[in-house]
Amino acid sequence: MTSPLSELAELSGQFDTEAAEVSDAAAWDALRIRWLGRKQGIVRQRLAAFKQVPPEERRDYGQAVNALKGKVEGALEEIEARLAAAAAPAEAAALDVTLPGRKPMLGSIHPVSRVAAEVVDIFNGLGYSVAEGPEIEDDYYNFEALNFPPDHPARDTQDTFFLSDGRLLRTHTSPVQIRTMKARRPPIRILCLGKTFRHDNDLRHSPMFHQVEGLAVAEGITFGHLKGTLDAFLKRLFGPETAVRLRPSYFPFTEPSAEVDITCTFCGGDGCQVCSQTGWMEILGAGMVDPRVLAECGIDPGRYSGFAFGMGLDRVAMNRYGIPNIRILFDNDERLLRQVKR
Amino acid sequence: MQFSRNWLGRYVEVPEVDDLAEKLTAAGLAVEGIERSGDDVVLEIDVTTNRPDCMNHLGLAREVAVLFDRPLRAPEPQLAESDESTGDIVEIELGTPHCPEYVARVVRGIEVGPSPAWLRELLEAIGQRSINNVVDITNFVLWESGQPIHAFDLDKIAGSKIEVRYAREGERLTTLDGEERELDPAILTIADAERVVALAGIMGGLDSEVTETTRDVLIESAHFDRTAVRLGARRLGLHTDASHRFERGADHSGCRPAADRVAELLVELAGGNVTRGALENPHPEYFGDFEGTVDLERLNAFAGVDYPADGVEHYYRALGFEPRSAGDGKLRLTVPSWRYYDFWQRRDDGEVWEADLFEEAMRMFGFDMIPADLPAIGSPDLGSSREHGKRERIRELLASCGYAEAINFAFGERAADRLLPGLGSTGEPVAIANPLSEQYTVMRRSLLPNLLESARFNLRRGAPVVRLFEIGRLFPGGESEEIEAVGLIAGGGSPTPWDRQHEVDLFELKGVLESLYETFDSTLEVRPAELRGLVAGTASEIVAGDRAAGYMGQVDDAELPYPLFVVELESAALTEADHPEPVRAPSRFPSITADLTLTHALEVAWADIRQAIAAAGVANLSSFGLRDRYSGEGVPAGAVNSTIYFLYNADDRSLTQEEVNECQASLIAELERRFGWRG
Repeated sequence: MTSPLSELAELSGQFDTEAAEVSDAAAWDALRIRWLGRKQGIVRQRLAAFKQVPPEERRDYGQAVNALKGKVEGALEEIEARLAAAAAPAEAAALDVTLPGRKPMLGSIHPVSRVAAEVVDIFNGLGYSVAEGPEIEDDYYNFEALNFPPDHPARDTQDTFFLSDGRLLRTHTSPVQIRTMKARRPPIRILCLGKTFRHDNDLRHSPMFHQVEGLAVAEGITFGHLKGTLDAFLKRLFGPETAVRLRPSYFPFTEPSAEVDITCTFCGGDGCQVCSQTGWMEILGAGMVDPRVLAECGIDPGRYSGFAFGMGLDRVAMNRYGIPNIRILFDNDERLLRQVKR
Repeated sequence: MQFSRNWLGRYVEVPEVDDLAEKLTAAGLAVEGIERSGDDVVLEIDVTTNRPDCMNHLGLAREVAVLFDRPLRAPEPQLAESDESTGDIVEIELGTPHCPEYVARVVRGIEVGPSPAWLRELLEAIGQRSINNVVDITNFVLWESGQPIHAFDLDKIAGSKIEVRYAREGERLTTLDGEERELDPAILTIADAERVVALAGIMGGLDSEVTETTRDVLIESAHFDRTAVRLGARRLGLHTDASHRFERGADHSGCRPAADRVAELLVELAGGNVTRGALENPHPEYFGDFEGTVDLERLNAFAGVDYPADGVEHYYRALGFEPRSAGDGKLRLTVPSWRYYDFWQRRDDGEVWEADLFEEAMRMFGFDMIPADLPAIGSPDLGSSREHGKRERIRELLASCGYAEAINFAFGERAADRLLPGLGSTGEPVAIANPLSEQYTVMRRSLLPNLLESARFNLRRGAPVVRLFEIGRLFPGGESEEIEAVGLIAGGGSPTPWDRQHEVDLFELKGVLESLYETFDSTLEVRPAELRGLVAGTASEIVAGDRAAGYMGQVDDAELPYPLFVVELESAALTEADHPEPVRAPSRFPSITADLTLTHALEVAWADIRQAIAAAGVANLSSFGLRDRYSGEGVPAGAVNSTIYFLYNADDRSLTQEEVNECQASLIAELERRFGWRG
């Protein structure tokens, strides 16, 4: 019968033989379990056998078992590192990095909201704040206070949706200007934006569209300030090379009124089909706030003056993203919406 | 509106056409098209509603003359009158104040026939059809001077009498276009001794029309109240060249010159004799003189430029405002009769508003001359609306959750209004009195019907997954204010296993909603509810305070290719504090996790379990949540396994496993006691 101690020496040799044969992770794992497994592992069994060793040999036996344990653990670690080093390049080669990544589904912000946010951003920088108002209005705020007298032909230009209770859907965001001027004293610098409605429906017109209007009222506001503000705004929105042209026009609530053109964004001003060869695109309406409107809101037109401007956001969005007709804008086709990234 | 260059050339020397177009546009008469036609050039000009004086060639020539500093050659009719007095032939009676001026002339012995080539060509250049010399002449004078003219066959005027009066109940008239029209007392008419013969300022009657056999004509050149004409035209659904001008306002001193001009041309082109005198009843007091003062200093301060004083005066004179010096750099101005209606809204003291007068100088000098400048207003406007910023945050969060923003019309079908729950929708929806189509008859009370249509639009195009959101107003009707709401609709999933994306289910939408609430520092609360249009068992209300501020569920429609889930929520339910919550510094010490699998009846609500854990007040429990739910093999029927994870962490030390075990033990005991499966 061999002594427990010589048995240990044998085992040590046996481990060396087995360890030399390990060439992959599976074999390494089998080796680890065979020798260091918690219940059936050889080292564990040898430790448990301690009690069967005659008392006089126990000291030597204990040291030998611990030595074996240390040797096995160290060797396993060494082999693991060697295998890892050898395996690394092989595994990297197995990964095809040209496979498509797993993109999280990104949402999108509507083209009109994008443009609106940019306009707000530009005017925030000029010290304007955003004002809000209802989409259902009455005749007073939508027309009368804005100097559209009853039965006046100027109302013809504002094809109106009337409600059965006598109110109407705002045809422009200007009622918000009236509400603001009635509620606050100058200096005022606001932007109002949102949905507006006209009784019109074809390829070029949608019964609902979006406007942004700006209003500045203070002492000493000049027509030159209107020009400067629009110039700064439109250059930011359409690019620094954009030229801006104001020409006299007519709106009941501004005096004088102006149509504002920018250099055609398609041809850069050379003349093309889009701009009817003029090189200009009509982009917004503006003017000095009519003194009748100021007076109606309780603001003394002898002391204060102001300017206002209004722009359709839908056309700008169509122009910016190359959307050919306004109806597409409200189809809510995700294939289109999700292309809008900025 | 079309203008002929050759026609314009009768009154002013016309400059090169590109120069002309540029200057007119810069002065407020936008030239939108230039078309050559033979030896003529036709200009398409957008004449704004406040400038009826420029809706004719002479008026446009007046602007050209001022802009290019050239003389204006207005026609001066020369008439050789016969001995017969017009007053012996016809009598005029004005039965209403809405005709402040009526000028009548009679030309006898004319011969109706074709117009000469020059007249035909001018009319045709601007798209008018030549009919005969008499009709063409009246048309010519309208397009020359802006004064609408009507020619009656004198023989067909009963009782040699013309009366301007409102129609009587039941009266009828067949107008020139062949339509028989029923009239009512809101319609201003021209009548003879027996019946209505024309609609005042709108259209003549067929019976008294000038025909080939007409020998004597009565020329009407009148001024009608513009509101009366507008209301009558609208009532009858008519819009004519005449009504277009009267509604906007004709030159109130233009009636007589136009009548004379027609008479002159009739003699020249159709033979005949003009009878002696015109019948007229001028009422200058009806209009009065409109005057105002321009203070050069205020003009310059208003425009933001220094205009030369003599230049300002020159333009006002050229435009017919008769400037007189009023001292101190002030000019006293009178509004010319052809501009009356552009200035009719005056100040309380009867003075013309200075801004209306400023405009004239500013547009003549051109806006280009005014330097661009930015206003220096000391403080920024701080009145910004909270709603705007909040809306932007919602928008950004939903987009970052993978949803695409939709924008729908704010109105929809009445039938769709009741399909889904809607917010605050009791009673009747707000109806549109003049809808464009049956599709858009009521204001929406929910975002979802239209959003569902958008989802269907995408489904029809084969979308494997739909994720849309919308932010917009709802219109509950009655006295209620507009409600801003957020709507979500989603369904489907990725068909490609590689992408490892999950199918959309109700809990995805709920998760998005929870993220939204967390962004606004509040907690989502839902309770099951029965709601129309949603699959029973999936529907629930979103609670804010003690009321429902929204709802969610699965759309009840078996036809859909895959289930669609919806959420609608009032924006007001997302409340935000004035300032963001301060962040909590994370602990520097390691945390310990523990899991618990609780077998409980299917009826036990997660909300109750969650509530029980939160209420237990376990020390150092920093977070917990549902790891998974499992039912099937090994779980009794009627029960489910909820595996809950717990994360323990202390700010001031490393927790020991023993401490955590102790906490978990009492928690487990509590949960088992309250919710554990009893078979």
